[in-house]
Amino acid sequence: MDTQPDDLGANAHAAPDIHQQLGQLTRQLHNTLRELGLADKLRGTAEELPDAKSRLNYIARLTGEAAEKVLNRVDQAKGQHEQLSAETRRVKSLLVQDPVAAVAKGHVMNYLGDVEQANQAIDEHLTEIMMAQDFHDLTGQVIKRVVNLASTIEEQLIAMLIQTAPLTAHVSGAEAPAGAPAGDSASHPVLQGPVVDANAAGADVVTDQSQVDDLLASLGF
Amino acid sequence: MANELRFLVVDDFSTMRRIVRNLLKESGFSEADEAEDGVVALQKLRSSTFHFVVTDINMPNMNGFQLLEEIKKDEKLKHLPVLMVTAEARKEDIVLAAQQGAAGYIVKPFTKATLEEKLLNILKKTGLR
Repeated sequence: MDTQPDDLGANAHAAPDIHQQLGQLTRQLHNTLRELGLADKLRGTAEELPDAKSRLNYIARLTGEAAEKVLNRVDQAKGQHEQLSAETRRVKSLLVQDPVAAVAKGHVMNYLGDVEQANQAIDEHLTEIMMAQDFHDLTGQVIKRVVNLASTIEEQLIAMLIQTAPLTAHVSGAEAPAGAPAGDSASHPVLQGPVVDANAAGADVVTDQSQVDDLLASLGF
Repeated sequence: MANELRFLVVDDFSTMRRIVRNLLKESGFSEADEAEDGVVALQKLRSSTFHFVVTDINMPNMNGFQLLEEIKKDEKLKHLPVLMVTAEARKEDIVLAAQQGAAGYIVKPFTKATLEEKLLNILKKTGLR
């Protein structure tokens, strides 16, 4: 819809009122949250948001690294495969021309050696491609935590909505979310999942297998 | 390598179970079964014969620590070596696992060489190889 100059003038006059109303609403919301005891809960959840951001960055990094690793290995394997195919064509041609000479001059034996080497290399590539899929487990654990945080925020917002809605709205009633965050089971201690930021984690965590081995060795294991 | 040994691989992520099983196979251990949590693992351990357990820690229903505790409490199972393969990297978790009787601890992500080295060490220590 077009806005006429006259309307703009009217809006400019109304602006102080709107600001005043917004200010009142903000104060009212703040007081309501405090009275309902939701302010602290929301603050706690808000404090977890940077952690969730760091976890999402971790997922992006891990999936990126895994994709890179797989593509590099595929490139290498394809290169070796191509080389082997070319060599196969060459030896085949030599065998067709003069089978005795091809064997006597060692072309066939050399070729078999190349095949063996290529097989070993391709097997290594396949193992590394398989290992690269471990990101699914690690990122899956982190995603679960972020989803739990999102569920908590949703739950708190719905609770706030229910408690602050006008009485008539309670009849149609927003219900609490069915899938409340599962949280940690009866585990002891509370498990943390993958270390998403080794620098922030401090000295209480290990960052590689050698540190695990050193710690266990220091305990006599 | 002694390939008649039977392994139980416990992890809630099927991808990781497949990776560990494939690595075991590459190391010469093709006899393996899987469980998605400690509860299923315990049922399988009590109803069938296994020689080695490779388990994650952070799992639903019954986590790896609880599974380890149950195994060590059970007269028929307590001799089983349990290798923890987990993303839990806190020192207190590693110490707790050792105190509860874990035979080894590997942090994810890990390499094929690490798994093979720990397996061989444990098999040698426990006389399974």
